[in-house]
Amino acid sequence: MEFPYGKAPLAILLLAVLMCIMLGSIGVTEEVQVKPDLVYATFSKEHAEIYRNALPAFEKANNCHIQIQLVDQRALQNRLESAMEAGADVPDMVEILDGTLGVFTKGPIEDVGFTDLTEKVHQTGLYDKIVQSRFIKWSSRGHIFALPHDVHPGTLCYRADLVKQMGIDVDKLTTWDEFAKVGREVVKNSTDKNGIIKHYMIDLPADGSDSLKLLLLQNGGRLIDENGQAAFDSDAALETVLWYVHATQGKDRFSFPCGWGQTLAKAMTDGLCLFYVCPDWRTAQFQADEPNLSGKLKLMKLPAWQPGGIRTSTWGGTGLTFPKTCRNFDLAWKLAMYFYYVPEQLGPRFEKMNILPPLKDAWTQPEFSYPRPFFSGQPIGKLFIELAPQVPSETVSPYITDARDKFSESYSDCTLYYQDHGDDGLREYAKADLKRCADQVRVIINRNVFLSGPQGVAKAVQEEESNKK
Amino acid sequence: MTLPPLSSVPPPARAIPAAVSAKPLYDRVGKRRPLQSPWAPFMFLTPYFLVTAVFFLYPLIYATVLAFFQTNGAKSRVYVGLNNFLFVLHDTDFRRAMWNTTVFAICSICIQLPLSLGLAMLLNARDDKLKSFFRLAIFCPNLVGQAFVGIMFQMFFTARYGLFNRALQALTYWGLEKNWLADPNLVMPAIVIASLWLYVGFNMIYFLAALQSVDQSLLEAARIDGAGPFQTFLNVTIPAIAPVTTFVVVTSTIYSFQLFELPYVLLNVNGNQGYGPKGSGQTVVGYLYHSAFENGDLGTAAAVGWILAFIIIIISLIQIRVSGTMRSDS
Repeated sequence: MEFPYGKAPLAILLLAVLMCIMLGSIGVTEEVQVKPDLVYATFSKEHAEIYRNALPAFEKANNCHIQIQLVDQRALQNRLESAMEAGADVPDMVEILDGTLGVFTKGPIEDVGFTDLTEKVHQTGLYDKIVQSRFIKWSSRGHIFALPHDVHPGTLCYRADLVKQMGIDVDKLTTWDEFAKVGREVVKNSTDKNGIIKHYMIDLPADGSDSLKLLLLQNGGRLIDENGQAAFDSDAALETVLWYVHATQGKDRFSFPCGWGQTLAKAMTDGLCLFYVCPDWRTAQFQADEPNLSGKLKLMKLPAWQPGGIRTSTWGGTGLTFPKTCRNFDLAWKLAMYFYYVPEQLGPRFEKMNILPPLKDAWTQPEFSYPRPFFSGQPIGKLFIELAPQVPSETVSPYITDARDKFSESYSDCTLYYQDHGDDGLREYAKADLKRCADQVRVIINRNVFLSGPQGVAKAVQEEESNKK
Repeated sequence: MTLPPLSSVPPPARAIPAAVSAKPLYDRVGKRRPLQSPWAPFMFLTPYFLVTAVFFLYPLIYATVLAFFQTNGAKSRVYVGLNNFLFVLHDTDFRRAMWNTTVFAICSICIQLPLSLGLAMLLNARDDKLKSFFRLAIFCPNLVGQAFVGIMFQMFFTARYGLFNRALQALTYWGLEKNWLADPNLVMPAIVIASLWLYVGFNMIYFLAALQSVDQSLLEAARIDGAGPFQTFLNVTIPAIAPVTTFVVVTSTIYSFQLFELPYVLLNVNGNQGYGPKGSGQTVVGYLYHSAFENGDLGTAAAVGWILAFIIIIISLIQIRVSGTMRSDS
């Protein structure tokens, strides 16, 4: 029998029917699969691998089935945000990246899609067992919404072989000013007759970004203060920006932006930069990406801003959240404790990932004291533990990325000014520009009617007008 | 077997819409075709109308409503009147995004289109076997997509190790350590270079097709009348390809104002958001994306969307009017 509308429509119809059957059969297959008691989503491949290995013992002990989902970080955040807003299914436990909690806490506290853990954390005594500065990172308006996974103390990783060869005494690099002084000497001595520089002192991104924030935190500054307002027009921010401008710009610069991935690996192998800003998680990356540098690297504390000042900072972090739709909170909490805070598990995990857990009881495990052949036999765990109590806290805000971008923008303005005018009037310019950028963030923050009331919008427009004047 | 005369075929029972009557309801022997009904076209069009209603009309109406609210995600909203529009129009970041997009659009038209036309003319000049190869080679970058090009050029523009920097150093003894993606003054040139590589071949294909359809007798007549190559190009070729040029200019402008993926991926370095230092690579769609999906403010994003649509419509109308006037003058 001939199809009345011709062969092409028949083909399309058949294809459509076939697709419907296929989709239907997928749906049926999914139904048949055993539904897990809990779904745990993470963006870290390393975390997922470790959890999957540790899972069978937990499942056996609790007679349950847990599903670990590995999702790209940006996709995880966007999907979680969309699913929460649309009321669609979300995982029962979700690991989120540093800086992203703010997106979920933009509205009134009761509208936050995560379970408020404040009471539970205090009730169980967990609050006192954890490095407390890490809870601030995962709190909004005094409410804790996630459990901290790590401490991420910041250090400097350096090419020990080259540093020794050049006669640099790292013990004398106690302040950033001394570091800069030695850095300029290094650059001067390694410039060839064509003006090509063989060695720079430190790898610093030319656009500021995370390194600039890390230095700001170490200097006692903040992007956002505890009241949720932009705070990077402080004196600490000014000093940090000025130091960074001199480190990255002009003929006396001593830093080079080595980038990420392959270019970073190449730069490290070439010894293009001697020092690299290195929170604990980055040490594992170096180990994986540059096995040829085994025995040639070492870690040291960050130089301080003032003699005797703080010798560390922080960069990054992971927090474990429990969406309000979590199907079995008690089981989820049990699993969180098992994954995050069992000292006997955290020792071997540190040996593998080099990430310092925030649970102080775990630090006595022998793995934290092991010398590491890759880092020239240095027991890096001991260094991280020594630095952990000094790690600065960071306030969470929906506007932290805006603040970071505006802080970097101000730094970019200062670099352009410095290129044209040098040091002449730079301080005054930087101060005014930091204030301008911070004011812009304040306008955006004050616009939020959910936090500041309906008058917020009118106020924001008014402020914008007055800023322009 | 002899067929009955056509006059003996019974007439249709009721009036059939003109669109349906293209194919008769009855076959030549007067038998009604199975499954044929006057409603058939509408049935075929229903899926299209449904999809348009769900994915175009509803979002369009919803976006209009949303533009007057401040939102915290999709659930919470507060009516703020025209304040989203006022905020956007007063925001220095939006103005910067607008400026960047306009600069990119101008570069697209002033650099990309002459280049595309030039390449098309080169390929059109000779008819040999290499023509197809070069046509494919120049068009190829367009097949890989903006995200891929963004990642690739990110590597090309790496200070000291990037291909682009090394080539510059070798040719000019300058630029080895230039930080294209971290210097606010170099970000836009970097985006334009990457987009040239991506789009020149695409527009070249349009121009090539137009050039191939230019009436050869006109060209020959011009030559016989003593016109030189430049005069022939100016007075014969350009007017002949004017409709395609208008189309390419309008679509390039629209694409330019919708620019997002390329700079977003290209500038996504050092953990940055993909807008470049000082927002030097932020476009209007980038601003919209940031408002909607990074700040969760769908209302402001909807306002930006409407402003962008308005700008594109105005520019396109002006371009079409101007090129129409030019065509009628010529």
